[in-house]
Amino acid sequence: MLISSNSVDQQFATQAALASGLTLLVVTDPKEAAKLIEAETPRCILCDVSTHELYVALENALQETVGLFSDKLNSNSIHFIGDGDLGQASYLVQSPIFGNFMIRPEKSIDEAGQHYGRVLKGSLQDRAFGVRNFLKSNAKTQTIKLHITTQKQDAVEAVRSYLVAAKFNNRMAMVIANGVDEILMNAMFDAPTDELGKALYQHTARSASIKLEGKHAVEMEVGYDGQYVAVAAIDHFGSLDKSRLLSLISKVYRDSEYKVRNQGAGAGLGLASVFQSGGSLVFVSEARVRTEVILFFKRTDNYKEFKAQFKFIGTQLYF
Amino acid sequence: MLKVTKEDANGTVLFRLSGSIEENVNFEQQFGSITGEVCLNCKDIPRINSVGVKSWIKFFQAAQAKGLKLQFIECSTAIVEQINLISNFVCGGSVESIYAPYSCPSCKAEQVGLFMCENIKKLNFELPDLDCIKCGKKAVFDDIPEEYFSFLMR
Repeated sequence: MLISSNSVDQQFATQAALASGLTLLVVTDPKEAAKLIEAETPRCILCDVSTHELYVALENALQETVGLFSDKLNSNSIHFIGDGDLGQASYLVQSPIFGNFMIRPEKSIDEAGQHYGRVLKGSLQDRAFGVRNFLKSNAKTQTIKLHITTQKQDAVEAVRSYLVAAKFNNRMAMVIANGVDEILMNAMFDAPTDELGKALYQHTARSASIKLEGKHAVEMEVGYDGQYVAVAAIDHFGSLDKSRLLSLISKVYRDSEYKVRNQGAGAGLGLASVFQSGGSLVFVSEARVRTEVILFFKRTDNYKEFKAQFKFIGTQLYF
Repeated sequence: MLKVTKEDANGTVLFRLSGSIEENVNFEQQFGSITGEVCLNCKDIPRINSVGVKSWIKFFQAAQAKGLKLQFIECSTAIVEQINLISNFVCGGSVESIYAPYSCPSCKAEQVGLFMCENIKKLNFELPDLDCIKCGKKAVFDDIPEEYFSFLMR
């Protein structure tokens, strides 16, 4: 279901529906949409919430008809469409139904819709683990196990070299490698928690050498379908906290000062910088079992297009 | 891994930084105690991760508090991106010159061009084309001017 009167959204959703094999239903009135959701739960809901007013109208309609915390609303299947970075839309970050967010594409709308359609299809799996779920069927994938935290830089360099060999330009490859650095570091140092959910390495220097064995094992999966590259960092803690994640990812320090935190060894900058550099992110997590953080980047002929590519953030959480 | 070399350039202390800046960086050890006016050449920094950024700001902010004046020259594209993303990345210092990314629409080759920040402003952020180092045709500025030069527009 698409809830939008925007013609770009309709073009985008048409392609997304085709690529995902879903039937598209377009509704422009949030109240009518809420009634339809109550009558028959759609598999995915894409909604234009590019202004605070549009979001409030949707939230009110859902609250009055379905109830925001109803079983009929699963945030995994709700996809917000906005116009700018998440940092400019704090009302979305605080939304109780936030699941997925995309920035409305300005160019190559059909292609963006097809790409998102594959992401939608992947997200509809019982458990959306594995980069292959989100790429074209011809994608080649490879999984690398890291045995110790100090192997991270070698893994990052391996991805960079692979991308250069796959004809990504050097600057793109470096930006993607930096993103991989951040998600691997999170998997190694931020994901591990004790039985009560307390972070184990909050105060541990990120240069520390720690064996990645048993539950602490970290894998990296790389997939490329000739157009999109996807790299996943995989941990076995399933400790993802959505509200903290959204708070970190929406942070913008362009105008306000970044203050060095003394209470933790991490910087709190990594995920936001990945999203601001052109990458898309999908977080797939099963509580206390596994988390996969997947980075997506499209290969383009030049960096200008690379930076302006269609972007999204997705969360698929299972409890 | 970052390497820092110190030079004396016409009475000014010049530090040349080369290599990636990540979690293994130890600025205190590599710079020692620095005071007065120093110039940092950032030409050969291809990458900086979030922990590197945190260490950078922590070190240079502390030095700034002790009166250190920083001048950044030949900033690589990776450093320019951080200057744009984080308002206090230069810790009160001045950015004198930066590398601008170029690509050739004909042969897709990448290259960079060095520009004084003052001149970029005079050009109204519209950089001239360069000769492609590979095929000799025109290479064009390859980024979004409003984003790449945003620190100069603040």
